[in-house]
Amino acid sequence: MTRYNVASTDEFDGDGERILVEVDGLEIAVFRVDGEYYALTNYCVHQGGPLCEGKLTGKMSVGDDGVSWEYEEDERYVICPWHEWKFDVTTGRNVSDERYLTPTFEVIVEGDAIYVVR
Amino acid sequence: MKNKTVDRISSVEDLEIIVDADAHVIETLDDLLPYVEDTGSKEILSHSNNEAMDIYSNQFPTPGFIDRSYDVDDLADKLEQMSDFGISAGMVGPTMSLNIASVSNANLAGALAQAYNSWVLDQWLDGSDALNGSILVTHHNPERSADEIDDRADEPSMRGVYLPGTGVVPPLGHYRYKPIYEAADRHDLPILSHASISAGHRSFPVQSRWNETYAEEHALVHPFTQMWNITTLLFRGVPEQYPNLDFVFQEAGIAWIPYLLWRLDDHYLQFGDEIPYLNKLPSEYVRDQFHFTTQPLGHTTTNGAHLAQIIDMIGPDSIMYSADLPHTDFDPPAELFNRIRSNFDAETVRGIMGETAVKLYNLDC
Repeated sequence: MTRYNVASTDEFDGDGERILVEVDGLEIAVFRVDGEYYALTNYCVHQGGPLCEGKLTGKMSVGDDGVSWEYEEDERYVICPWHEWKFDVTTGRNVSDERYLTPTFEVIVEGDAIYVVR
Repeated sequence: MKNKTVDRISSVEDLEIIVDADAHVIETLDDLLPYVEDTGSKEILSHSNNEAMDIYSNQFPTPGFIDRSYDVDDLADKLEQMSDFGISAGMVGPTMSLNIASVSNANLAGALAQAYNSWVLDQWLDGSDALNGSILVTHHNPERSADEIDDRADEPSMRGVYLPGTGVVPPLGHYRYKPIYEAADRHDLPILSHASISAGHRSFPVQSRWNETYAEEHALVHPFTQMWNITTLLFRGVPEQYPNLDFVFQEAGIAWIPYLLWRLDDHYLQFGDEIPYLNKLPSEYVRDQFHFTTQPLGHTTTNGAHLAQIIDMIGPDSIMYSADLPHTDFDPPAELFNRIRSNFDAETVRGIMGETAVKLYNLDC
């Protein structure tokens, strides 16, 4: 395993920001969510689309009546621009079927430096 | 699927249990009238001149080419016909009342369902261990339907809740039907949904105004009915809300089901934010809680491998043989058996031909 210095925290204006980097030939995105950094492959396991270039959104859940919709605004879900498959960037798991998993990488922050471990 | 080393059943005669999971009785308005308990509805119903028009709102594009009346219209004839085809048990449903969703008036619809249930018990089910049936309810007044289920659930030969599916607006996934699903769940009775030609002429999924033949109407109304009801039930999370409730879809054949399941799984993965009710893929709810009866298989030619592949895709445990006797588009047992016998092991074939129905409905065979 190797640590790659991929970015500085200064490059992120706040939560919901992302950077795309190439690490040893692989495109990886680093997202900032709730002050934490998460790295995952820019590759959708559905059909190979550029997953991490999609929109970051919240998620829908069901209201107490079992019918109504409630929007969870916590924006940590990326939607693939190809077919709208949706993954939790903090875990890499598909929201509708967690058996679909995007490869994720450990992120280490030391001072201003962000490292991805691969 | 195919494994040449496992047990096979070589002949349909070797099956001990064959269940027609979608059998029918033939009822007329005159049969039901003496059984109507609601005196007001009974009076109104007795004035009918043409029940297809002034009670029901049925319509066919054409009269068809032959008169489709049925000789098998009593218990003795029914049992004889089942015996002729080697069928050991039947889950019966109605014929005229298949179109009960097309009745305009909710009181009349409820009265007809009540009368049918009393009549079918008295004239058919009480007289034979080989026949079981389901409590007919209507979509008009779900609370009344729940009462009908509560009233009949202790009848030993009532093994399900019969909720006809064609002409039902809004469709079966709508939350207004909660009392019906709760009652069925309370009594551990599966929901059976059966399509029917002519009930849909003024509502989606098939409006016969633009179908010019009986053939066009009949080809489309059955699968379209089930596709709409299944899609709304799944996408609105009904099986998720009632994880112990089973659903049975009748008389639409089965070859379209893999296509629909692929489509629904795909849409769930793409449009999941509109469908937050589910915790697994739509096809997994189908695997766990839905059943389908096989008739009409269609013109399957003789390559059973194609049909077997379709059954394998749906899940063999969800498939139950049905004849649809005495209706004229019935499938005899051999039509299904001959196409699947060499493609599944003996246990799977026995399940499809009858034992899955025995288990689902707790039949005594």
